[in-house]
Amino acid sequence: MEHAGIERLLVDRNRCEGYGMCQQAAPDLIHLDDEDEPVIDVAELSAAHKPLANAAVRACPVAALTLSGPTAH
Amino acid sequence: MSLITTAPRSDVDIFSDEIMAEPYPAFRELRDAGPVVHLDRFDMYAVPRYREVRHVLGDWESFSSADIAFNDKFNRYMSDFSVLRADPPLHDAMRSTLAARLARRALREQEPEIRRRAARLVRGLIERGSFDAVADLARRFPVEIVGDLIGLREEGREDLLRMIDANFNCFGPDNERTRDSFPKLAKVADYVLVGATRENLAEGSMGRAVFEAADAGAIPVQAAPWLVMAYVTAGMDTTVNALGHCLWLMAEHPDQWQLLRADRSLVPQAFREILRYESPVQAFGRTVRTDWTVEDVTLPAGAKLAVLYGSANRDERRWADPNRFDITRDNLEHLTFGYGLHACAGQALARLEGEAVLSALLDGVSHIQAGTPVRHFNNILRGLESLPVTVVPN
Repeated sequence: MEHAGIERLLVDRNRCEGYGMCQQAAPDLIHLDDEDEPVIDVAELSAAHKPLANAAVRACPVAALTLSGPTAH
Repeated sequence: MSLITTAPRSDVDIFSDEIMAEPYPAFRELRDAGPVVHLDRFDMYAVPRYREVRHVLGDWESFSSADIAFNDKFNRYMSDFSVLRADPPLHDAMRSTLAARLARRALREQEPEIRRRAARLVRGLIERGSFDAVADLARRFPVEIVGDLIGLREEGREDLLRMIDANFNCFGPDNERTRDSFPKLAKVADYVLVGATRENLAEGSMGRAVFEAADAGAIPVQAAPWLVMAYVTAGMDTTVNALGHCLWLMAEHPDQWQLLRADRSLVPQAFREILRYESPVQAFGRTVRTDWTVEDVTLPAGAKLAVLYGSANRDERRWADPNRFDITRDNLEHLTFGYGLHACAGQALARLEGEAVLSALLDGVSHIQAGTPVRHFNNILRGLESLPVTVVPN
């Protein structure tokens, strides 16, 4: 592709166990609700968001959080 | 035909008392030798660097955990219903059964009671002034907490840690420690598979919930006792070692203790640093499912790996000044609980226990002084046998 697609944070709800490390790594992008379910706060990531988004992905202990462009699905 | 470089080799015995007493220089040599290093004594490849450890643990489709133990006999013994060894979809069914009770959201209602019990235990120790951090604290707290959560009878709990220690030794290669421990598995089986049956597990407990999951068809009936086995064998000794290290590291680094006293919001980070600095689980096995090329080496399908958690957590390629114990460092990505599909299912509970003990100590203790620690040797686990400490009250 000539232009990179818009990237998003994706949560695999079957794998997520609510540890909240993503929220600690990138509090502006994702938080846990009252039930410890992750809520994505920024739907479409800008280039400026990328380092934090990557940090959130890396911080997930069970690899339930991924980065994906719309073309990947 | 392309040129394939063979992996560097080492004849180090990472399971010997000599290396285990102080493993970090040997780990460094392995890391410097390469991303995979053939361990000649065991015919397997050490994976000593952070990057590859994370890669291997994060990709269960390319790296099987069926050979998680370093000997075939114990892998077979653990059955196909070991959640550590299983692949999806069986793995996911068993993991979900554990997570329904062990995920952080599920533990919320247990938290006040765990904190109360930590406070009570630690208050008693502060009154004594001098005690053994391993025998009187580290070995008592997880057995009490986790034993009650699983719903185990009080009877026989005093032998549990010795049994679990033997169980972990059986993950080792065919060495003296492994061979001496195999006969003790009969006691573990007797306690768990014969003794911790549905009717012997407390109503409402995590153990009982496993049998209820089988009733509901969520997991195979044969998997239920093996999930109780997972709870019993994985949930105590690991935390025991983390708590022993907690007291030791805080005594050895009084500046870090004072820093924590001044800012209690650092407690979660401090406990993570304890976990990073001294990983209770040092190594587990994986098998390469399809040829794996890392840098200029290709390991063939079937190659056995020794994934070195404790080494990855001290990798200078990943951590600045890795041998410095620093409770303020960014340590979210430590690998002590593993990573990915088979990451420790009890990590939220372990964290809860560790943070409860640290908080209770902060409530009552201004200084921790430690005598000479005695190391405990186990094929898989790193921990202390005893640690005399004296605490100075606030």
